[in-house]
Amino acid sequence: MSAPRILLLPLSLAATAALLAGCTAATEPAAEPVTGGTLVYATGDAEPGCLDPHVGGNYPQALISTQYIESLVSKNTAGEIIPWLATEWTTSEDGLTWDFTLRDDVTFTDGTPFDAEAVKTNIEHLKDPNTASSTGYLAVGKIDGIDAVESDQVRFTLSTPDSALLESLSQPWVGIQSPAALERDQAINCESPVGTGPFVVTDWVKQQSITLERNENYNSAPEDAEHTGTALLDSLKWRFIPDAATRYAALQSGDVDVIDNAQPNNISSAESDPAIDELNAPRPGASNRIELNSGKAPFDDERVREAFIRAADVSPGIDSLFFGTAERSYSVLSSVEADGISLPDAFAVDQDAANTLLDDAGWDTIDSDGYRTKDGVRLTLDFPISTNQSIPAEQSLFEQIQASAKEVGFEVKLLPTDLSSWYGALFTNEYNLVSAPYTKVGADVLRILYHSDSIIPAPSGYYANLAQLSDPKLDQILTTASQTSDAAERTALYEEAQSIIIDGFYVLPLYDQQNHYLYSTSVEGFRALPTVSAPTFYDAWLND
Amino acid sequence: MTEILAGRLGRGARATPATTGWQKLAGNSGAFVAIVALLFILTAALAPQLLTTADPDAVAPVDAFQSPSPAHLFGTDESGRDVYTRVVFGAANSLLIGIAATVVGLGLALVLGLLGGLGGRVGDFVSTRVVEVMFALPGLLLALVFIAIAGPGVVTSTVAVGLSTAPGYARIIRSQLRSVRNSGYVEAATVLGHSRLRIVVQHILPGALAPIFVLGTLGVGQAIVWASSLGFLGLGVAPPAAEWGAMLSSGRTYIDVAWWLTVFPGLAIVATAASFTVLGRALNERTRQGAIG
Amino acid sequence: MTDPSDPTAERLSTRPAARLRSLAWVARRLGGGLFVLWMVATVIFFALRLIPGDPVDAILGGPGSQASAEAVAQIRVEYGLDQPLIVQYFLAMAKLAVADFGTSYALKIAVAPYVLTQLWSTLVLTIASLVVAWVLALALTMVTSGRRGPARAVGSGLELLAAAVPHFWLASLLIIVLSNTLHWLPPISVPGPLGLILPVLTLALPLTGFLGQLMRESLANAYEQPFVVSARARGESEWGVRFRHVLRHAALPGISLSGWAFGSLLSGAVVVETIFARPGLGRTLLSAVSIRDIPVVTAVALLSALTFIIVTVATDAIDRIVDPRVAKQ
Repeated sequence: MSAPRILLLPLSLAATAALLAGCTAATEPAAEPVTGGTLVYATGDAEPGCLDPHVGGNYPQALISTQYIESLVSKNTAGEIIPWLATEWTTSEDGLTWDFTLRDDVTFTDGTPFDAEAVKTNIEHLKDPNTASSTGYLAVGKIDGIDAVESDQVRFTLSTPDSALLESLSQPWVGIQSPAALERDQAINCESPVGTGPFVVTDWVKQQSITLERNENYNSAPEDAEHTGTALLDSLKWRFIPDAATRYAALQSGDVDVIDNAQPNNISSAESDPAIDELNAPRPGASNRIELNSGKAPFDDERVREAFIRAADVSPGIDSLFFGTAERSYSVLSSVEADGISLPDAFAVDQDAANTLLDDAGWDTIDSDGYRTKDGVRLTLDFPISTNQSIPAEQSLFEQIQASAKEVGFEVKLLPTDLSSWYGALFTNEYNLVSAPYTKVGADVLRILYHSDSIIPAPSGYYANLAQLSDPKLDQILTTASQTSDAAERTALYEEAQSIIIDGFYVLPLYDQQNHYLYSTSVEGFRALPTVSAPTFYDAWLND
Repeated sequence: MTEILAGRLGRGARATPATTGWQKLAGNSGAFVAIVALLFILTAALAPQLLTTADPDAVAPVDAFQSPSPAHLFGTDESGRDVYTRVVFGAANSLLIGIAATVVGLGLALVLGLLGGLGGRVGDFVSTRVVEVMFALPGLLLALVFIAIAGPGVVTSTVAVGLSTAPGYARIIRSQLRSVRNSGYVEAATVLGHSRLRIVVQHILPGALAPIFVLGTLGVGQAIVWASSLGFLGLGVAPPAAEWGAMLSSGRTYIDVAWWLTVFPGLAIVATAASFTVLGRALNERTRQGAIG
Repeated sequence: MTDPSDPTAERLSTRPAARLRSLAWVARRLGGGLFVLWMVATVIFFALRLIPGDPVDAILGGPGSQASAEAVAQIRVEYGLDQPLIVQYFLAMAKLAVADFGTSYALKIAVAPYVLTQLWSTLVLTIASLVVAWVLALALTMVTSGRRGPARAVGSGLELLAAAVPHFWLASLLIIVLSNTLHWLPPISVPGPLGLILPVLTLALPLTGFLGQLMRESLANAYEQPFVVSARARGESEWGVRFRHVLRHAALPGISLSGWAFGSLLSGAVVVETIFARPGLGRTLLSAVSIRDIPVVTAVALLSALTFIIVTVATDAIDRIVDPRVAKQ
């Protein structure tokens, strides 16, 4: 059962290579970049309620804020942290003090200079309860004190060492905004946030589009960008098109230039369309996986969890439903995370084994509908599905899992609901299975998702450990890993942690968090930023 | 009261200047086709095994997206399930939603209508206001809020659709009750000193309730269409239940690669809704003629 | 047109009594409308509190937020959510009474201007659809009604079909045919009338089916009226009869049903706005319900109710003008 695990490195490299290929494909033509024009981007993600990614902090905000707000550091396609608004950094021996040197030649688009005070104001803004930050708040959680040592020197004092600090700071949700702008009313800052990015938000027509104009004073491109200076496009139009079929039709008709959240069948048919290119940029952090709620019956019994994993036949469905656009994952982590390990054998399908396990666990009678029972109770699994988060192909995949689990006597109840009801079901512990994507840069996401501290709900009811995995040994490994600055040691600890999670049958990985962009071949130089795979249009230009 | 649809069921139709032999035939055959179609759909709903031997939920990913062929008359869906079998088995769910939603709507409307038509000034005031309020709230808003409260599912969809159709029925029922109440024979009964209850039970209700059945048949098709919109918004029946609206909305995702996923359930909805409407109008005609003759 | 048996030939009397009667009618309707609005607000207020889920989540960055305890407590006080329900109700009603719709939980902006903008977009869509449906239905019935033979059968067949097609499917078919295949129209709403065509067609076609069926019936009725018979006897042409006498009769049920039709269009707008990526009340409602943005849902409900009331009063008024018999009843 606990054979030594192989590293995922080859797979991860392959994914990185694919990403690189995607980027170069767009920039390959020898043609000189042309300045000017408006690029229309159509997003299928929800319209953000607030364009300041500090507030709340979800993926739709990250998508757009990448265009106008920048972070202290970034990440390149090799997975290395690279300078951005901070040029260099050092950390003390005990890992508790971090010194960052900042660029001294950058100004926010409202004219406010970028300096140490600005960084300080931003971290404080994230920590202010009035900001109601979730993602960013967690990312800077260990920062206790911020000192503006000099105008270009800032010092963070941590409560405990945080080996994930740089990765956390690279995320758009911790982007640096103009301190003058942050002083305004939150409602105003939500409408017109001010960063140092290549574009500036100029107009927001609710439910329709956001207009962004080029920042004419831009000079802070990250070092992995194709060029320096200002962006090439005059402006960006950010349209909200919730319906996937319409979004694709709009790309075909030329009404939009780039779409995100492309559906598998559209990606597949776009392959034969010479006017459309694809960029596949899986999101970092966790893979898309189904969590088995070990906090209540029947999954409090490891045998029942294993039986479910043995019964759930996922791979054939992924092949047919995703038209070859998604690869089966056997890892808790995204394939872009270098520390991820893939354990295909742990998820082998074996109906006989599943039946034996269920018999052993006492679920040995079968009712008239073909479902197993124990003491008169049916072996039922509630599976709330967020229709806002799961695409149709994924919902169909869940139906196939339902069918294959039925063959060994599980009754899986699929419960499609809206976002609020879905969270409601999670917070009241009314679920046995759930698929909840989680994006974060770095393997530290494991600590957020599987440390027993994450079972304790936030005041709003939220908790991230939906498998309700509570294992003191795992807790200790994850805590140690988050405080270990030695990379090799850290990798070893994360591998051990993943083994524990997988061997305990707490998760059923499906595939990476899908993040496919389709774009017109008239768009050049478009890429996804390797941090959270949000698109960036700094290098982009239109060739027609 | 001759209507263009006179004689849909043929018997005792009054000849009108516009009625020709051709029209009669068309009317008759329309109702005939509708009845045959409904019998077929009812068979599918009550005894699907008569029309297919396959399992509607049998998943076979390797057989996904097969176009119609002798083996799979209507092709297969994204999970390799037989679309023909699912359309047949879907009849029960879709009809159930359509009929039950109509019954809920009519039932609610009947209570409101009776209150308004017979409950005196206060009853009338209350029922009028309730109907106005329900009318003023867009049906889908009622449905969305109700589903948010009760959680999605067959029962919820049914009640949600019923709720949103009730005010329309209530208005018709009330005006029907009014016209019967004010009619000559009720006045006569009042003059004769019959008790209020007796008048209501003996005279008003039978006359007023006759159109309910007709209204119901007209409403079933619309209720099915309505419920399918909820399915589109992700708030329909729970998977894997075969239901036409749910099939239509999930098939829409693949409309560019597999037309058969939407066309067949779509035709089933359209055929059912149209058949019920034709039947309802034919019945309507018969009732009217019954009242006249 | 002077045929005394034609009731529509009679004009609304201008005698003072009649004018007074009309004024009283308007006043009564307005009063009733206010009452309905109040009830709508009440129903929505309590219904939204029945929905599981804490409004605080909606305020603090949406469901799934990990706001701190201080933030939650502070929001509760700030939004009065710590008050007893009945107090919250009266506070909410008092605000609504002076048209204060508050601030959106999710967007943190004033609800009234936001929802009014969305209303405008939806009104353009629904009114255009209503007009198109009207014109199409009239054209279809005028051309095919009373005809013997296949024309009529085709006409009513089309109506039956149109009335039974779900909006979302029709929308997909229209996009595939008119946009993807023929490249005539953009699949998403773009500024200008071009972007309005597909959404309007999607909403209008099913309604055309309904209106057509209704008009066909009343038209057939009208053909039997004495004034038509006498017009025919006077030797007026078939088309003359149709347009001068019958048309108005066919229009009557259509007019009184326009209020209802408008309500159903508002519902259909949810689907159409989602598919064609049009801003509007329907999409606003959908997202606001799903994230429990109570002030926005309340405002959408009240605005659609208000619109509905205005349209009903207006159509009833038109009814009274077109057919004075109604006013006398």
